[in-house]
Amino acid sequence: MTERERFIKALRREPIEGHCPTFELVFFLTLESIGMIHPAQMAFGQWNQMSKSEQKKHFEYQAESYIRIAEKYHHSAIFVHPNPGGIDGAVRLLEAIREKSGDKYYTMMHGDPTFAMPDGDSMFDFTARMYEDEDGLKAEAQRNMEHALAFGEEMAKHKGLLDGFCLCSDYCFNVNPYFTPDMFSEYITPYLHDVIKGYHDQGFYSIKHTDGNIMPIVDQMVQCHPDALHSLDPQGGVDLAEIKRLYGDKVALCGNVNCGLLQTGTDEEVIADVRRSLRDGMNGWGYIFCTSNCAYTGMELERYELMNRIWWEEGIYK
Amino acid sequence: MSITAQINEMLQKGKAKDVKALVNQALEEGITAKEILNDGLISGMVEIGDKFKENKVYVPEVLIAARAMNQGVAILKPYLTKEGVEPVGKAVICTVKGDLHDIGKNLVKMMMEGVGIECIDLGVDADGDKIVAAVKESGAKVVCLSALLTTTMVNQGEIIEALKAAGLRDKVKVMVGGAPVTQKFADEIGADAYTSDAASAAEVALSFFKN
Repeated sequence: MTERERFIKALRREPIEGHCPTFELVFFLTLESIGMIHPAQMAFGQWNQMSKSEQKKHFEYQAESYIRIAEKYHHSAIFVHPNPGGIDGAVRLLEAIREKSGDKYYTMMHGDPTFAMPDGDSMFDFTARMYEDEDGLKAEAQRNMEHALAFGEEMAKHKGLLDGFCLCSDYCFNVNPYFTPDMFSEYITPYLHDVIKGYHDQGFYSIKHTDGNIMPIVDQMVQCHPDALHSLDPQGGVDLAEIKRLYGDKVALCGNVNCGLLQTGTDEEVIADVRRSLRDGMNGWGYIFCTSNCAYTGMELERYELMNRIWWEEGIYK
Repeated sequence: MSITAQINEMLQKGKAKDVKALVNQALEEGITAKEILNDGLISGMVEIGDKFKENKVYVPEVLIAARAMNQGVAILKPYLTKEGVEPVGKAVICTVKGDLHDIGKNLVKMMMEGVGIECIDLGVDADGDKIVAAVKESGAKVVCLSALLTTTMVNQGEIIEALKAAGLRDKVKVMVGGAPVTQKFADEIGADAYTSDAASAAEVALSFFKN
């Protein structure tokens, strides 16, 4: 069974043997880990001046970096950040990955058209629109969704390249979601539901990510039928065992290893947290082991490798 | 219901037009700007802040109330100046070096302004030198440091060191917050206060000015 097949089985909450699958939404520490620049850190000011063959070499370099990280840390999935982006960038990067590694890895990319919580500059305007421009905001949400599904339609024409989308709009602070549950049901849920259904119809899996405390809106998120929920942020008070108890028969779960501890905890605290995540997540099927965010810039590589080593030694279905 | 109580109620509902009309009406009735500010606008923001702290309302409900407050305050400003009403105190606020996230910082600023504190907003990616200069220039007694990233929260400690080096540490209270920040971390870096939400931050800052 390939890593891709194992990952898909986990998304479907089907029994698997051996290791619980693992991956990272982003693994930024490529330079330290394998001596290669992360594709997202590259800037291509002269991209259109390059010959097709030079562009191909860049995609091959990016593909190589993704594959080497997946191989080194036994990841089952690769989350690509096409650079340059767009359909052409995504297709050419995924082709390079498939050429080098066949169908070994599950591949995914960003694809969330739903509103994320706004930044500090736009929060007043966005919030005012929820109160005063309901129709306009909903029309924008609909347009965003249609745009995402049009992208998915294009990707679906390239059979065998992309397995799924990760929907990465963040909705929540540590304390609560940005949106009230009522606002969420007005401005997010209908579009989240429809885009996930659209992706499924196009043959793609969907993983819904958000940081923070999802508990007031998690029921609505699950009712949109994503294949998995990602991050399950313990800093937002999300209890993996409780989520598993409530929704383990409806959706696969990814994450929950505390990024705060990876940064500031002791080795012992990190090890205990990894073991807790494995224990709670692997209680039944449908768990994918990973951090509660990603391997971000500034994280100590040794800490990620400690987490990964404990998973490798102990994250095995008996 | 008194007119200031009506202002309080409309503010909490985020009804900016009603708040403006009531503020104008209160002024016409001869109520002082200070009274309208304290008993209508600020008391409304304090109440909604308390509800936020208790998870009874969410951020958009606080924001829409703050917008109503800002519009009410804009009407009162010339009257407050005439009456010689001063802000409760001054605070320097920023997101620390290396961190570009501003929603948490802006929420704290909004809640602090809601209780009458003047905020000197240094924006995002602010280092110790910038904060030291702002404290010297403004005479602020409170410094609020926000960080959303585990990799940047350590810079809160560096800023405290910069305040020490500039001889300002004993002159200001340093408050820290942000998603990865904890009371334990705040204690380790020698901050005066950690708060987990914007309403609590405003409450603690207010207590520093009053004590």
